Amino acid sequence: MSSLLEIQRDFRRAILAGDTTALAAFIEVEGIAAAERIEIHRNNARMSLSAALAETFPVVCRLVDARFFAFAAHEFICGLPPDTPCVAGYGARFADFLADFPPCRELVYLADVARLEWVLQRAGAAADGTPLDPASLGGLAAADAERLTFRFQPSFGYLCSPWPIIEIWRANQSEVTARAPVNLESGGALLEVRRRDGVVEFRELAPATFAFRAALDGGTALGDAIEAVAGVEGEFDVNAECAALFIEGAIAGFNLVGSA
Amino acid sequence: MFDDRTRRAEAQIGIGLRAPHVDELSATRPALDFLEVHAENYMDFGPAFTRLMYIRRDFMLSLHGVGLSLGSAEGLDRDHLGRFRDLIDRVQPFLVSEHLSWSVVDGAYLNDLLPLPYTEESLAIVTRNVAAAQDGLGRSLLVENPSRYLRFRDSRIPEAEFLAELVRRTGCGILCDVNNLYVNAHNVGEDPILYLETLPADAIGEIHLAGHARCDIDERTLLIDDHGAAICDEVWTLFGAALNRFGAVPSLIERDKNLPALADLVAEASIARSIHVLAA
Repeated sequence: MSSLLEIQRDFRRAILAGDTTALAAFIEVEGIAAAERIEIHRNNARMSLSAALAETFPVVCRLVDARFFAFAAHEFICGLPPDTPCVAGYGARFADFLADFPPCRELVYLADVARLEWVLQRAGAAADGTPLDPASLGGLAAADAERLTFRFQPSFGYLCSPWPIIEIWRANQSEVTARAPVNLESGGALLEVRRRDGVVEFRELAPATFAFRAALDGGTALGDAIEAVAGVEGEFDVNAECAALFIEGAIAGFNLVGSA
Repeated sequence: MFDDRTRRAEAQIGIGLRAPHVDELSATRPALDFLEVHAENYMDFGPAFTRLMYIRRDFMLSLHGVGLSLGSAEGLDRDHLGRFRDLIDRVQPFLVSEHLSWSVVDGAYLNDLLPLPYTEESLAIVTRNVAAAQDGLGRSLLVENPSRYLRFRDSRIPEAEFLAELVRRTGCGILCDVNNLYVNAHNVGEDPILYLETLPADAIGEIHLAGHARCDIDERTLLIDDHGAAICDEVWTLFGAALNRFGAVPSLIERDKNLPALADLVAEASIARSIHVLAA
Protein backbone atom coordinates (compact mmCIF):
# COMPACT_ATOMS: atom_id res chain seq x y z
CA MET A 1 0.00 0.00 0.00
CA SER A 2 1.14 3.51 -0.75
CA SER A 3 2.45 5.18 2.38
CA LEU A 4 0.69 8.41 1.35
CA LEU A 5 -2.59 6.50 1.18
CA GLU A 6 -1.89 5.16 4.65
CA ILE A 7 -1.30 8.69 5.99
CA GLN A 8 -4.48 9.94 4.29
CA ARG A 9 -6.51 7.14 5.86
CA ASP A 10 -4.99 7.98 9.26
CA PHE A 11 -5.96 11.61 8.65
CA ARG A 12 -9.53 10.53 7.90
CA ARG A 13 -9.66 8.59 11.17
CA ALA A 14 -8.31 11.62 13.03
CA ILE A 15 -10.87 14.01 11.53
CA LEU A 16 -13.95 11.79 11.56
CA ALA A 17 -13.33 9.50 14.51
CA GLY A 18 -11.08 11.72 16.64
CA ASP A 19 -8.40 9.02 16.74
CA THR A 20 -5.12 10.88 16.20
CA THR A 21 -2.74 8.18 17.49
CA ALA A 22 -1.64 6.71 14.16
CA LEU A 23 -1.37 10.09 12.40
CA ALA A 24 0.51 11.76 15.25
CA ALA A 25 3.39 9.30 14.78
CA PHE A 26 4.09 10.91 11.37
CA ILE A 27 4.18 14.50 12.68
CA GLU A 28 6.94 16.63 14.21
CA VAL A 29 6.09 17.93 17.69
CA GLU A 30 7.91 21.34 17.62
CA GLY A 31 6.54 22.93 20.79
CA ILE A 32 2.88 22.09 20.18
CA ALA A 33 1.61 18.52 20.46
CA ALA A 34 0.83 16.79 17.17
CA ALA A 35 -2.74 16.19 18.34
CA GLU A 36 -3.23 19.94 18.82
CA ARG A 37 -1.92 20.63 15.34
CA ILE A 38 -4.18 17.96 13.85
CA GLU A 39 -7.07 19.53 15.77
CA ILE A 40 -6.81 22.67 13.59
CA HIS A 41 -7.66 20.59 10.52
CA ARG A 42 -10.26 18.54 12.38
CA ASN A 43 -11.95 21.73 13.48
CA ASN A 44 -11.83 23.29 9.99
CA ALA A 45 -13.40 20.22 8.40
CA ARG A 46 -16.13 19.61 10.97
CA MET A 47 -17.09 23.23 11.58
CA SER A 48 -17.37 24.02 7.87
CA LEU A 49 -19.51 20.94 7.18
CA SER A 50 -21.64 21.59 10.25
CA ALA A 51 -22.16 25.18 9.02
CA ALA A 52 -23.17 23.89 5.58
CA LEU A 53 -25.79 21.62 7.20
CA ALA A 54 -27.08 24.44 9.43
CA GLU A 55 -27.52 26.60 6.34
CA THR A 56 -29.57 23.93 4.57
CA PHE A 57 -31.58 22.88 7.66
CA PRO A 58 -32.27 26.11 9.63
CA VAL A 59 -35.71 24.99 10.83
CA VAL A 60 -34.41 21.65 12.12
CA CYS A 61 -31.69 23.66 13.88
CA ARG A 62 -34.34 25.89 15.48
CA LEU A 63 -36.50 22.93 16.48
CA VAL A 64 -33.73 21.09 18.32
CA ASP A 65 -31.65 24.18 19.33
CA ALA A 66 -28.23 25.01 17.97
CA ARG A 67 -26.21 22.96 20.47
CA PHE A 68 -28.11 19.76 19.87
CA PHE A 69 -28.00 20.42 16.12
CA ALA A 70 -24.19 20.71 16.30
CA PHE A 71 -24.09 17.35 18.12
CA ALA A 72 -26.38 15.67 15.56
CA ALA A 73 -24.46 17.24 12.67
CA HIS A 74 -21.19 15.98 14.14
CA GLU A 75 -22.53 12.43 14.37
CA PHE A 76 -23.86 12.63 10.82
CA ILE A 77 -20.60 14.04 9.40
CA CYS A 78 -18.54 11.33 11.10
CA GLY A 79 -20.77 8.55 9.80
CA LEU A 80 -21.69 9.91 6.39
CA PRO A 81 -19.09 12.44 5.22
CA PRO A 82 -19.69 14.18 1.88
CA ASP A 83 -18.76 12.31 -1.27
CA THR A 84 -18.41 15.49 -3.35
CA PRO A 85 -16.70 18.85 -2.82
CA CYS A 86 -19.88 20.75 -3.69
CA VAL A 87 -20.81 21.00 -0.01
CA ALA A 88 -23.84 23.28 -0.50
CA GLY A 89 -25.44 20.05 -1.73
CA TYR A 90 -24.34 18.06 1.34
CA GLY A 91 -27.11 16.54 3.43
CA ALA A 92 -29.16 14.34 1.09
CA ARG A 93 -29.20 11.65 3.78
CA PHE A 94 -29.51 13.91 6.82
CA ALA A 95 -33.29 13.36 7.12
CA ASP A 96 -32.88 9.56 7.07
CA PHE A 97 -30.12 9.91 9.65
CA LEU A 98 -32.39 11.97 11.94
CA ALA A 99 -35.20 9.41 11.53
CA ASP A 100 -32.91 6.73 12.98
CA PHE A 101 -31.09 8.94 15.51
CA PRO A 102 -32.21 7.72 18.95
CA PRO A 103 -32.01 11.12 20.74
CA CYS A 104 -34.56 12.51 18.23
CA ARG A 105 -37.03 9.66 18.52
CA GLU A 106 -39.67 11.71 20.32
CA LEU A 107 -39.64 14.42 17.64
CA VAL A 108 -41.61 12.24 15.24
CA TYR A 109 -41.97 15.01 12.63
CA LEU A 110 -38.31 16.11 12.63
CA ALA A 111 -37.10 13.90 9.76
CA ASP A 112 -39.97 15.06 7.53
CA VAL A 113 -39.19 18.72 8.29
CA ALA A 114 -35.60 17.93 7.27
CA ARG A 115 -36.90 16.33 4.04
CA LEU A 116 -38.85 19.52 3.31
CA GLU A 117 -35.79 21.71 3.91
CA TRP A 118 -33.69 19.47 1.69
CA VAL A 119 -36.18 19.68 -1.20
CA LEU A 120 -36.41 23.47 -0.72
CA GLN A 121 -32.62 23.80 -0.78
CA ARG A 122 -32.33 21.71 -3.94
CA ALA A 123 -35.12 23.68 -5.60
CA GLY A 124 -33.29 26.92 -4.81
CA ALA A 125 -29.98 25.74 -6.24
CA ALA A 126 -31.22 23.76 -9.25
CA ALA A 127 -30.36 24.73 -12.79
CA ASP A 128 -32.99 26.47 -14.88
CA GLY A 129 -34.40 24.13 -17.49
CA THR A 130 -36.32 24.81 -20.67
CA PRO A 131 -39.91 23.51 -20.44
CA LEU A 132 -40.64 20.82 -22.98
CA ASP A 133 -42.93 21.89 -25.83
CA PRO A 134 -45.83 19.41 -25.82
CA ALA A 135 -45.69 19.48 -29.63
CA SER A 136 -42.53 17.37 -29.33
CA LEU A 137 -44.78 14.45 -28.33
CA GLY A 138 -46.78 14.87 -31.54
CA GLY A 139 -45.06 12.06 -33.41
CA LEU A 140 -45.88 9.43 -30.80
CA ALA A 141 -48.31 6.63 -31.59
CA ALA A 142 -51.25 6.61 -29.16
CA ALA A 143 -50.38 3.03 -28.24
CA ASP A 144 -46.97 4.18 -27.00
CA ALA A 145 -48.36 6.75 -24.55
CA GLU A 146 -48.45 4.36 -21.61
CA ARG A 147 -44.72 3.69 -22.05
CA LEU A 148 -43.84 7.39 -21.65
CA THR A 149 -41.60 8.47 -18.80
CA PHE A 150 -41.01 12.13 -18.01
CA ARG A 151 -37.98 14.02 -16.78
CA PHE A 152 -39.11 16.86 -14.51
CA GLN A 153 -37.46 20.28 -14.30
CA PRO A 154 -34.57 20.10 -11.81
CA SER A 155 -36.25 22.41 -9.29
CA PHE A 156 -39.38 20.23 -8.92
CA GLY A 157 -39.70 17.96 -5.90
CA TYR A 158 -42.46 15.99 -4.17
CA LEU A 159 -42.82 14.91 -0.59
CA CYS A 160 -45.56 13.61 1.65
CA SER A 161 -45.74 13.50 5.42
CA PRO A 162 -48.31 12.38 7.99
CA TRP A 163 -47.35 15.50 10.01
CA PRO A 164 -48.29 19.16 9.47
CA ILE A 165 -44.77 20.03 8.30
CA ILE A 166 -45.80 23.24 6.54
CA GLU A 167 -47.26 24.68 9.75
CA ILE A 168 -44.17 23.57 11.68
CA TRP A 169 -41.91 25.07 9.03
CA ARG A 170 -43.80 28.38 9.00
CA ALA A 171 -43.88 28.63 12.80
CA ASN A 172 -40.10 28.23 12.95
CA GLN A 173 -38.92 30.80 10.45
CA SER A 174 -36.26 33.09 11.87
CA GLU A 175 -38.52 36.15 11.67
CA VAL A 176 -41.20 34.47 13.80
CA THR A 177 -40.61 35.53 17.38
CA ALA A 178 -43.70 34.15 19.16
CA ARG A 179 -44.15 30.53 18.20
CA ALA A 180 -47.75 29.37 18.39
CA PRO A 181 -48.06 25.68 19.20
CA VAL A 182 -48.74 23.44 16.20
CA ASN A 183 -51.37 20.73 16.61
CA LEU A 184 -49.61 17.56 15.44
CA GLU A 185 -52.99 15.93 14.82
CA SER A 186 -53.99 18.64 12.33
CA GLY A 187 -53.18 16.51 9.30
CA GLY A 188 -50.30 15.70 6.96
CA ALA A 189 -49.05 17.24 3.77
CA LEU A 190 -48.79 16.25 0.10
CA LEU A 191 -46.43 18.81 -1.35
CA GLU A 192 -45.01 19.96 -4.63
CA VAL A 193 -41.96 22.24 -4.44
CA ARG A 194 -40.57 24.23 -7.35
CA ARG A 195 -38.75 27.44 -8.18
CA ARG A 196 -40.68 29.96 -10.25
CA ASP A 197 -39.22 33.32 -11.35
CA GLY A 198 -36.35 32.87 -8.93
CA VAL A 199 -38.56 32.15 -5.92
CA VAL A 200 -38.92 28.71 -4.30
CA GLU A 201 -42.55 27.93 -3.59
CA PHE A 202 -44.55 24.96 -2.44
CA ARG A 203 -48.19 24.01 -2.61
CA GLU A 204 -50.42 21.22 -1.39
CA LEU A 205 -51.77 18.84 -4.03
CA ALA A 206 -54.94 16.75 -4.04
CA PRO A 207 -54.14 13.10 -3.18
CA ALA A 208 -54.64 11.75 -6.71
CA THR A 209 -52.64 14.56 -8.33
CA PHE A 210 -49.84 14.03 -5.81
CA ALA A 211 -49.77 10.27 -6.41
CA PHE A 212 -49.66 10.81 -10.16
CA ARG A 213 -46.94 13.46 -10.20
CA ALA A 214 -44.78 11.81 -7.56
CA ALA A 215 -44.94 8.52 -9.47
CA LEU A 216 -43.95 10.21 -12.75
CA ASP A 217 -41.20 12.22 -11.02
CA GLY A 218 -39.89 8.93 -9.63
CA GLY A 219 -39.55 7.55 -13.17
CA THR A 220 -42.74 5.49 -13.30
CA ALA A 221 -44.13 5.12 -16.83
CA LEU A 222 -47.39 6.95 -17.62
CA GLY A 223 -49.48 3.78 -17.82
CA ASP A 224 -48.29 2.57 -14.42
CA ALA A 225 -48.69 6.05 -12.88
CA ILE A 226 -52.33 6.12 -14.00
CA GLU A 227 -52.85 2.69 -12.47
CA ALA A 228 -51.25 3.84 -9.23
CA VAL A 229 -53.79 6.65 -9.00
CA ALA A 230 -56.76 4.29 -9.42
CA GLY A 231 -56.87 3.39 -5.73
CA VAL A 232 -56.48 6.98 -4.51
CA GLU A 233 -59.47 8.99 -3.28
CA GLY A 234 -60.91 11.87 -5.32
CA GLU A 235 -61.63 12.54 -8.97
CA PHE A 236 -58.87 12.28 -11.52
CA ASP A 237 -58.98 13.42 -15.14
CA VAL A 238 -55.91 12.01 -16.87
CA ASN A 239 -56.00 14.33 -19.88
CA ALA A 240 -56.37 17.44 -17.73
CA GLU A 241 -53.62 16.27 -15.35
CA CYS A 242 -51.21 15.64 -18.21
CA ALA A 243 -52.00 19.01 -19.80
CA ALA A 244 -51.44 20.74 -16.45
CA LEU A 245 -47.91 19.32 -16.22
CA PHE A 246 -47.01 21.00 -19.50
CA ILE A 247 -48.91 24.23 -18.81
CA GLU A 248 -47.07 24.57 -15.49
CA GLY A 249 -43.72 23.97 -17.17
CA ALA A 250 -42.93 20.92 -15.06
CA ILE A 251 -41.64 18.68 -17.82
CA ALA A 252 -38.10 18.94 -19.20
CA GLY A 253 -37.98 15.81 -21.36
CA PHE A 254 -39.44 12.40 -22.05
CA ASN A 255 -38.44 8.88 -22.94
CA LEU A 256 -40.16 5.65 -23.92
CA VAL A 257 -39.66 2.69 -21.60
CA GLY A 258 -38.23 -0.23 -23.50
CA SER A 259 -36.80 1.94 -26.28
CA ALA A 260 -33.20 2.97 -26.71
CA MET B 1 2.41 28.78 -20.29
CA PHE B 2 -0.71 30.87 -19.78
CA ASP B 3 -3.70 30.74 -22.05
CA ASP B 4 -4.01 34.40 -22.75
CA ARG B 5 -1.12 36.70 -22.05
CA THR B 6 -2.89 39.82 -23.24
CA ARG B 7 -5.77 39.40 -20.86
CA ARG B 8 -3.37 38.52 -18.06
CA ALA B 9 -1.69 41.87 -18.60
CA GLU B 10 -5.07 43.62 -18.21
CA ALA B 11 -5.90 41.78 -15.00
CA GLN B 12 -3.89 43.29 -12.20
CA ILE B 13 -5.89 43.60 -8.99
CA GLY B 14 -8.95 41.65 -7.95
CA ILE B 15 -10.98 40.53 -4.96
CA GLY B 16 -12.75 37.31 -4.11
CA LEU B 17 -16.44 37.53 -5.07
CA ARG B 18 -18.73 36.72 -2.15
CA ALA B 19 -22.51 36.46 -2.42
CA PRO B 20 -23.42 39.48 -0.20
CA HIS B 21 -21.42 41.78 -2.51
CA VAL B 22 -22.80 40.61 -5.85
CA ASP B 23 -25.56 43.21 -6.28
CA GLU B 24 -23.39 46.12 -5.14
CA LEU B 25 -20.56 45.08 -7.46
CA SER B 26 -22.93 44.99 -10.41
CA ALA B 27 -24.45 48.33 -9.50
CA THR B 28 -21.29 50.28 -8.64
CA ARG B 29 -18.59 48.57 -10.73
CA PRO B 30 -15.68 49.62 -8.50
CA ALA B 31 -12.13 49.90 -9.83
CA LEU B 32 -11.22 46.23 -9.85
CA ASP B 33 -9.66 44.35 -12.76
CA PHE B 34 -11.00 40.91 -11.92
CA LEU B 35 -13.05 38.82 -9.52
CA GLU B 36 -12.27 35.33 -8.29
CA VAL B 37 -14.83 32.73 -7.26
CA HIS B 38 -14.69 29.31 -5.66
CA ALA B 39 -15.50 26.99 -8.54
CA GLU B 40 -17.47 24.50 -6.42
CA ASN B 41 -20.07 27.15 -5.50
CA TYR B 42 -21.31 27.34 -9.10
CA MET B 43 -21.42 23.73 -10.24
CA ASP B 44 -25.21 23.42 -9.81
CA PHE B 45 -25.48 25.87 -12.72
CA GLY B 46 -28.48 27.37 -10.88
CA PRO B 47 -29.29 30.97 -9.89
CA ALA B 48 -25.82 31.65 -8.44
CA PHE B 49 -24.29 30.66 -11.77
CA THR B 50 -26.76 32.89 -13.65
CA ARG B 51 -25.72 35.85 -11.48
CA LEU B 52 -22.05 35.02 -12.10
CA MET B 53 -22.59 35.09 -15.86
CA TYR B 54 -24.28 38.47 -15.46
CA ILE B 55 -21.37 39.91 -13.48
CA ARG B 56 -18.97 38.44 -16.03
CA ARG B 57 -20.07 41.14 -18.44
CA ASP B 58 -18.31 43.75 -16.27
CA PHE B 59 -15.35 41.88 -14.76
CA MET B 60 -12.84 39.27 -15.84
CA LEU B 61 -13.17 36.11 -13.77
CA SER B 62 -10.78 33.58 -12.35
CA LEU B 63 -11.87 30.20 -10.98
CA HIS B 64 -10.31 28.95 -7.75
CA GLY B 65 -11.01 25.29 -7.03
CA VAL B 66 -11.01 23.84 -3.53
CA GLY B 67 -12.10 20.28 -4.26
CA LEU B 68 -9.95 18.67 -6.95
CA SER B 69 -7.73 17.18 -4.23
CA LEU B 70 -4.53 17.21 -6.28
CA GLY B 71 -2.69 15.34 -3.51
CA SER B 72 -5.04 12.36 -3.20
CA ALA B 73 -3.21 9.04 -3.42
CA GLU B 74 -6.31 7.51 -4.98
CA GLY B 75 -6.26 9.94 -7.93
CA LEU B 76 -8.86 12.45 -9.06
CA ASP B 77 -12.66 12.22 -8.95
CA ARG B 78 -13.60 12.02 -12.65
CA ASP B 79 -17.14 13.28 -12.08
CA HIS B 80 -15.85 16.36 -10.30
CA LEU B 81 -13.26 16.97 -13.00
CA GLY B 82 -16.09 16.82 -15.57
CA ARG B 83 -18.16 19.39 -13.65
CA PHE B 84 -15.11 21.64 -13.39
CA ARG B 85 -14.55 21.36 -17.14
CA ASP B 86 -18.19 22.28 -17.83
CA LEU B 87 -17.84 25.35 -15.62
CA ILE B 88 -14.62 26.43 -17.33
CA ASP B 89 -16.20 25.99 -20.77
CA ARG B 90 -19.09 28.27 -19.82
CA VAL B 91 -17.28 30.88 -17.71
CA GLN B 92 -14.10 31.10 -19.83
CA PRO B 93 -11.98 32.29 -16.88
CA PHE B 94 -8.59 33.89 -17.53
CA LEU B 95 -7.04 31.85 -14.68
CA VAL B 96 -7.86 28.51 -13.05
CA SER B 97 -6.18 27.55 -9.80
CA GLU B 98 -6.14 24.80 -7.17
CA HIS B 99 -4.10 23.85 -4.11
CA LEU B 100 -1.06 21.77 -3.22
CA SER B 101 -3.12 19.76 -0.76
CA TRP B 102 -5.64 16.93 -0.58
CA SER B 103 -9.14 16.44 0.82
CA VAL B 104 -10.42 13.11 -0.52
CA VAL B 105 -9.60 9.62 0.71
CA ASP B 106 -11.63 6.47 0.01
CA GLY B 107 -14.24 8.70 -1.64
CA ALA B 108 -14.88 10.81 1.50
CA TYR B 109 -14.49 14.57 1.03
CA LEU B 110 -13.02 16.02 4.25
CA ASN B 111 -13.65 19.71 3.39
CA ASP B 112 -10.27 21.09 4.39
CA LEU B 113 -7.05 21.69 2.48
CA LEU B 114 -5.04 18.94 4.14
CA PRO B 115 -1.24 18.87 4.11
CA LEU B 116 1.04 16.49 2.24
CA PRO B 117 4.38 15.07 3.30
CA TYR B 118 6.87 16.38 0.74
CA THR B 119 8.37 13.10 -0.43
CA GLU B 120 9.27 11.57 -3.79
CA GLU B 121 6.11 9.47 -3.53
CA SER B 122 3.92 12.56 -2.99
CA LEU B 123 5.66 14.35 -5.84
CA ALA B 124 4.92 11.44 -8.19
CA ILE B 125 1.26 11.37 -7.09
CA VAL B 126 0.73 15.13 -7.35
CA THR B 127 2.50 15.17 -10.73
CA ARG B 128 0.17 12.46 -12.02
CA ASN B 129 -2.91 14.24 -10.66
CA VAL B 130 -1.94 17.70 -11.95
CA ALA B 131 -1.23 16.22 -15.39
CA ALA B 132 -4.61 14.43 -15.34
CA ALA B 133 -6.37 17.62 -14.19
CA GLN B 134 -4.76 19.72 -16.93
CA ASP B 135 -5.70 17.06 -19.51
CA GLY B 136 -9.26 16.85 -18.19
CA LEU B 137 -9.72 20.62 -17.94
CA GLY B 138 -8.06 21.30 -21.25
CA ARG B 139 -5.82 24.04 -19.88
CA SER B 140 -2.98 24.80 -17.49
CA LEU B 141 -3.57 25.11 -13.75
CA LEU B 142 -2.02 27.36 -11.16
CA VAL B 143 -1.17 25.40 -8.00
CA GLU B 144 -1.26 27.32 -4.70
CA ASN B 145 1.10 26.90 -1.76
CA PRO B 146 -1.09 25.86 1.19
CA SER B 147 -1.25 27.19 4.75
CA ARG B 148 0.30 24.66 7.14
CA TYR B 149 -0.13 23.83 10.80
CA LEU B 150 2.13 20.78 11.02
CA ARG B 151 5.22 19.19 9.44
CA PHE B 152 5.54 15.53 8.57
CA ARG B 153 8.67 13.81 9.85
CA ASP B 154 9.28 12.28 6.42
CA SER B 155 9.05 15.57 4.51
CA ARG B 156 12.47 15.78 2.91
CA ILE B 157 11.79 18.17 0.03
CA PRO B 158 11.37 21.87 0.85
CA GLU B 159 7.90 22.96 -0.29
CA ALA B 160 9.19 25.59 -2.75
CA GLU B 161 11.46 22.97 -4.38
CA PHE B 162 8.52 20.56 -4.50
CA LEU B 163 6.47 23.17 -6.38
CA ALA B 164 9.37 24.05 -8.69
CA GLU B 165 9.76 20.38 -9.61
CA LEU B 166 6.00 20.08 -10.15
CA VAL B 167 6.23 22.99 -12.61
CA ARG B 168 9.11 21.27 -14.45
CA ARG B 169 7.22 17.96 -14.68
CA THR B 170 3.73 19.19 -15.58
CA GLY B 171 4.06 22.69 -17.04
CA CYS B 172 1.62 24.00 -14.43
CA GLY B 173 1.94 27.50 -13.00
CA ILE B 174 2.05 28.63 -9.37
CA LEU B 175 -0.32 30.74 -7.32
CA CYS B 176 1.81 32.24 -4.55
CA ASP B 177 -0.21 33.04 -1.42
CA VAL B 178 1.94 35.46 0.59
CA ASN B 179 -0.29 35.25 3.68
CA ASN B 180 0.33 31.49 3.68
CA LEU B 181 4.07 32.19 3.55
CA TYR B 182 3.72 34.41 6.62
CA VAL B 183 1.49 31.94 8.48
CA ASN B 184 3.82 29.04 7.65
CA ALA B 185 6.89 30.97 8.77
CA HIS B 186 5.26 31.23 12.16
CA ASN B 187 3.67 27.77 12.34
CA VAL B 188 6.34 25.51 10.82
CA GLY B 189 9.42 27.71 10.56
CA GLU B 190 9.45 28.19 6.78
CA ASP B 191 11.73 31.07 5.62
CA PRO B 192 9.48 33.19 3.34
CA ILE B 193 12.31 35.05 1.59
CA LEU B 194 14.20 31.84 0.79
CA TYR B 195 10.87 30.41 -0.36
CA LEU B 196 10.27 33.30 -2.78
CA GLU B 197 13.82 32.94 -4.12
CA THR B 198 13.35 29.21 -4.71
CA LEU B 199 10.10 29.43 -6.66
CA PRO B 200 10.59 29.68 -10.45
CA ALA B 201 9.69 33.34 -11.13
CA ASP B 202 8.36 32.79 -14.64
CA ALA B 203 5.83 30.20 -13.43
CA ILE B 204 4.03 32.55 -11.04
CA GLY B 205 0.60 33.35 -12.47
CA GLU B 206 -1.11 34.95 -9.48
CA ILE B 207 -0.57 36.19 -5.93
CA HIS B 208 -3.09 35.86 -3.09
CA LEU B 209 -3.31 38.21 -0.12
CA ALA B 210 -5.40 37.67 3.00
CA GLY B 211 -5.62 38.13 6.74
CA HIS B 212 -5.37 35.47 9.43
CA ALA B 213 -6.31 34.74 13.03
CA ARG B 214 -4.26 33.80 16.12
CA CYS B 215 -4.98 30.65 18.09
CA ASP B 216 -3.25 30.18 21.46
CA ILE B 217 -2.33 26.59 22.35
CA ASP B 218 -0.13 25.47 25.27
CA GLU B 219 1.34 28.99 25.67
CA ARG B 220 2.28 28.92 21.99
CA THR B 221 0.42 30.49 19.10
CA LEU B 222 -0.59 29.10 15.75
CA LEU B 223 -1.67 31.49 13.03
CA ILE B 224 -4.85 30.32 11.30
CA ASP B 225 -5.37 31.18 7.64
CA ASP B 226 -9.06 31.99 8.04
CA HIS B 227 -9.28 34.91 5.56
CA GLY B 228 -11.14 36.69 8.34
CA ALA B 229 -9.19 39.92 8.93
CA ALA B 230 -7.49 42.83 7.20
CA ILE B 231 -4.08 42.13 5.65
CA CYS B 232 -1.28 42.77 8.16
CA ASP B 233 1.78 44.98 7.54
CA GLU B 234 4.19 42.03 7.35
CA VAL B 235 2.11 40.42 4.59
CA TRP B 236 2.06 43.69 2.64
CA THR B 237 5.86 43.74 2.92
CA LEU B 238 6.07 40.16 1.66
CA PHE B 239 3.76 41.14 -1.19
CA GLY B 240 6.26 43.82 -2.24
CA ALA B 241 9.09 41.28 -2.08
CA ALA B 242 7.09 38.80 -4.16
CA LEU B 243 6.30 41.42 -6.81
CA ASN B 244 9.97 42.44 -6.96
CA ARG B 245 10.88 38.87 -7.74
CA PHE B 246 7.93 37.80 -9.93
CA GLY B 247 6.94 41.03 -11.67
CA ALA B 248 3.46 42.53 -11.73
CA VAL B 249 1.38 39.34 -11.76
CA PRO B 250 -2.40 39.42 -11.10
CA SER B 251 -2.98 39.85 -7.37
CA LEU B 252 -6.07 39.07 -5.34
CA ILE B 253 -7.52 40.04 -1.94
CA GLU B 254 -9.27 37.04 -0.35
CA ARG B 255 -11.84 37.42 2.39
CA ASP B 256 -14.20 34.69 3.62
CA LYS B 257 -14.96 35.30 7.30
CA ASN B 258 -16.04 38.55 8.99
CA LEU B 259 -16.93 39.84 5.55
CA PRO B 260 -16.60 43.66 5.61
CA ALA B 261 -18.36 46.22 3.43
CA LEU B 262 -17.38 46.00 -0.22
CA ALA B 263 -15.79 49.46 0.10
CA ASP B 264 -13.30 48.09 2.67
CA LEU B 265 -12.16 45.36 0.28
CA VAL B 266 -11.92 47.85 -2.57
CA ALA B 267 -9.76 50.03 -0.29
CA GLU B 268 -7.43 47.07 0.35
CA ALA B 269 -7.34 46.46 -3.39
CA SER B 270 -6.22 50.09 -3.82
CA ILE B 271 -3.32 49.51 -1.43
CA ALA B 272 -2.41 46.41 -3.42
CA ARG B 273 -2.54 48.43 -6.62
CA SER B 274 -0.23 51.12 -5.23
CA ILE B 275 2.38 48.44 -4.39
CA HIS B 276 1.71 46.67 -7.69
CA VAL B 277 2.43 49.69 -9.90
CA LEU B 278 5.94 49.93 -8.45
CA ALA B 279 6.68 46.45 -9.80
CA ALA B 280 5.08 47.01 -13.22
